[in-house]
Amino acid sequence: MKKCYLTTGIIFLVLFGFLLTTNALAVDKVVIGHPACLSGKYAKAGEQAIGGIKACIDWVNNVYGGVLIDGKRIPVKYKYYDSESKKEGVTSLIERLITVDKVNVVFSSYSSGLTLAGAPVAERYNMLYMDHGGASDRIFQQGFQYIVQTIGPGSKYHVGTLNMFNHFDPKARRVALAYEDSEFARMTMRGAEEHATKLGYKIVFKRTYPKGVTDLTPLLSDLKANKPDIVIGGGHYEDGQLFARQMSDLDINVKGLSLVASATLPAYYKALGGRTAEGVMGPSHWEYGVTYSAEGAKKVGLDWIGPDQDEFVSRFKKALGKDMIPDYHAAEAGAQVLAYVKAAENINSLAPDKVRAALGKLKFMSFYGGWDVDDTGMQIGHSMVDMQWQNGKRFIVWPLEAATGKLVYPKPKF
Amino acid sequence: MILQLLAGNLIHGLLLGGVYGLATMGLSLIFGVMNVVNVGHGAFIMVGAFITLTLFSVLGISPVLAIPVALLMGMALGFFFFYTVMRRLIKAPELASLLATFAIGILLEEVVKLIFGADFRGYNWGLGKIVLPITVIPLSKIYAFIGSIVIALFLYFWFSKTRLGTAVRAVVEDSEGARVCGVNVGWIYALSFAIGIGLTVMSGVMLTMFIPVGINPYMGGVYTLKAFVIAVLGGLSSPYGAFFAGLIFGLIENGAYVLFAQIPGVAPFPLTVSLAFWMLFFLLLIKPTGLLGKK
Amino acid sequence: MVKYYPLIPVLAIYLVMFLIGFYIEGMWQMVALLAFYCALGQSWNIFMGMTGYVDFGYVTFIALGTYGMALGISYTHQYEWLGIGIIFIGLILALFLASLSALLESFIALRLRGAYFAIACIGINEGLKHFIEGARIWGGSDGIIFYGALIQAFGRETSNHLTAFWADFAVFIIAALAAILNIYYMRSKIGYALTAVREDEDAAKVMGINTTKYKTIAFLTSGLLGAAVGAFAWGVKLAHVYPGDVFVIHYTIECIVVVLLGGAGTLLGPVVGGLVYGLSKYWLAVVLPGFQLLVFAPIIIIIIVVFPEGIIGFVKQKTKSTPLARYII
Repeated sequence: MKKCYLTTGIIFLVLFGFLLTTNALAVDKVVIGHPACLSGKYAKAGEQAIGGIKACIDWVNNVYGGVLIDGKRIPVKYKYYDSESKKEGVTSLIERLITVDKVNVVFSSYSSGLTLAGAPVAERYNMLYMDHGGASDRIFQQGFQYIVQTIGPGSKYHVGTLNMFNHFDPKARRVALAYEDSEFARMTMRGAEEHATKLGYKIVFKRTYPKGVTDLTPLLSDLKANKPDIVIGGGHYEDGQLFARQMSDLDINVKGLSLVASATLPAYYKALGGRTAEGVMGPSHWEYGVTYSAEGAKKVGLDWIGPDQDEFVSRFKKALGKDMIPDYHAAEAGAQVLAYVKAAENINSLAPDKVRAALGKLKFMSFYGGWDVDDTGMQIGHSMVDMQWQNGKRFIVWPLEAATGKLVYPKPKF
Repeated sequence: MILQLLAGNLIHGLLLGGVYGLATMGLSLIFGVMNVVNVGHGAFIMVGAFITLTLFSVLGISPVLAIPVALLMGMALGFFFFYTVMRRLIKAPELASLLATFAIGILLEEVVKLIFGADFRGYNWGLGKIVLPITVIPLSKIYAFIGSIVIALFLYFWFSKTRLGTAVRAVVEDSEGARVCGVNVGWIYALSFAIGIGLTVMSGVMLTMFIPVGINPYMGGVYTLKAFVIAVLGGLSSPYGAFFAGLIFGLIENGAYVLFAQIPGVAPFPLTVSLAFWMLFFLLLIKPTGLLGKK
Repeated sequence: MVKYYPLIPVLAIYLVMFLIGFYIEGMWQMVALLAFYCALGQSWNIFMGMTGYVDFGYVTFIALGTYGMALGISYTHQYEWLGIGIIFIGLILALFLASLSALLESFIALRLRGAYFAIACIGINEGLKHFIEGARIWGGSDGIIFYGALIQAFGRETSNHLTAFWADFAVFIIAALAAILNIYYMRSKIGYALTAVREDEDAAKVMGINTTKYKTIAFLTSGLLGAAVGAFAWGVKLAHVYPGDVFVIHYTIECIVVVLLGGAGTLLGPVVGGLVYGLSKYWLAVVLPGFQLLVFAPIIIIIIVVFPEGIIGFVKQKTKSTPLARYII
């Protein structure tokens, strides 16, 4: 037992000393730490997130002038390591970011699992932990104090989509749900199922498929036999491509098809060789072409911060050195930078607990859309859009007030 | 209704199984000859997929023509890794080579990521489909299946009818004995490793003909696992056994779904995969050396 | 006592690692990562090093250990009087699940030879993962998240120490225990019997050695240690478990790599291998984020080509007739 007290004492001393040193030093920079996913299974999303973060930091430093603390503009720095998309990497790298690099805030890796893996370490150091990649609602039911979410919770993904179908074609009642068997996709499925029942849809098919699947034929044959009007589902990148590809292979033509995560990316259209992707839809946190603006923010009475969309895109391209359009992974990571800056300025401090409290009260709008979290840190202010591929271009078709194009319905045959 | 679904799925399963079989033959060959477990197997499949993709989308070359290109490039890779790494490990403890293939797999993945990025890619051959009353089959799947069978048969004749093939078989049976009989065992090792890798890279082409999407540097892991299990199911070190085992694996993976779907409250798809893997276990209980394995 | 001398360098390394982690700020998680690799390597080595059997499905034990801990904590956290006991309930459950699967596997699989055994175990692992997802047991693919349960049972401060310190401390203890058990087995009847199995299994049988019994003992020990590592390093430390994150064959391959880098069948090997593997991965991730594996892979290739017997295997040969020899096996 004595040892326990000793340990506790030492940990407290270390922590205390750490807090003292950070406070005592003259603050000359704000450092954002990030155990990124540059290799491994989330490498794609990781690259986007880094680009988005760099783009927004670039904007904060060079256009905005830095974070305004005590009347002084302080530049933002970015420190990232590669966690290889593995849970072992996350814990040690977060500790290094906190203790060695003395970061002021840690951004989570991608996915609910990796976010959860890092959370205890962040809690231990009382470090603000911002989640732009873990969509599970359950992260926020655990009682973590320092975690704040930027992306919307998984259960909301297909709610708007169903509203849209209900609006455009109240006669199509047969809906099929086919999601990946991962925590995130199943949460989307539960949300979709609940909402579909509420809207009076008839759920004719409801199945999951395992992660890393390479052949969906048995599931899709089964789905075909149930003759749905609308199919919603998906989970990640590769299975989303496989889904549409094999629906086309099996000649399953439906009126509406919406897939989470993968369908919104340019690579999706290219991978399917164009035609197969025509008319496919996907819900998205953000999409190139959304019309959030400073004027719009004023209308709904929210503060605005950050670059406008075109500026974000050009800074994103510059940051990655590639001619690549950012997707929602980039946008949510970038918006997270802006949320941090905004909250730190509101409270006029960089102390993690104070910024955490300020984030809880923060409401603002950026190119990414609205931002507001509840008491547990879960994102509730951000709403999603639905996009559709039409002649090789992505159009936002729902909600109507954000729409950049008209819904093509029923979708063209494969 | 159920029967119709089952029949349709079995057809797809058979086609897929043929490709699985081909994708495993390289692994079996390398294990049989050199006693090397190639844990980087999936990475070589991935290389094949990227060769097809590049030829098709950059140069517009049909995937059918990618088959010989993949074989040649695969063999070149095989010779390269044999003479730089594997040759030095023949006399080392059995597992040292496993470590080398593990690292080679990582190396390939990272090099491909460096060149092509981490995007998920795909291509659209658009060959058309055959519409049967019970199901629809894209022609590219049939091409992939036929291609796999032709290659398997070709390999069979090469093994049984040619001098070199016979020498390889002799080394599989008894490398010391073969050496005494004047077979250049070192050369056979190099050649078999190269052919094994060539076959594997080539099967990557077949796999993309079957599933032309989701191509990315880390796609190989799933196939490594399946190939391991199929290889044992077929009786390790027997390439033909691997081919038949691949067929069985494909049939189960597609067929059992319909049956599991009748059970309420479960997710049939994961259960199907689960059964496909446990099949191996049950089979080994009855026949501890796999389908065509010798004692 | 002389026969236990080789324990000295092993335990000394663990002690130094622990002290570095404990007293130097910001090193604890990194040291914990190294201890994780060392402990896994050491546990895996007990079975493989002594019998020559390679178990590719080893990660099943680690995963089941994680599940045991997760189930134990999430089902018993509401009973306040159990206190810290729920961790022990979790551990017992972890060991129970692992021994169940070890016995089942040894009953069937240990009758197989060589690569058939190795890969049959992959089948079990993948089958189990998909079964959990498909049959929806233990939360199915939603997994179990139990940080909330820990907070409910112990309060915020204590759960924090549990996840960020004591879980890693337990991994150190397991690593040391694995080393002690390993040398105890090597120096006892079990070790001699298993050496006979490794050299020539049929001959050993003819001589009247109950090979299956000794193989099962070693298999069980190795599996239970793996389960304990899983229970703490993935269970208590990360406070969540998803089937797709734990039943991953890649971790078995990492075990093998750690052991082979250091030298299979040696006592010090897995420790050195774990250090080399973990440190090079960690530092490369810090120095060259995004390109570390590109550098890491050739390093592994070079090490194995230069030291085919592993680093310790090489050192062992060099020190064969020097006084150092009795510290290194």
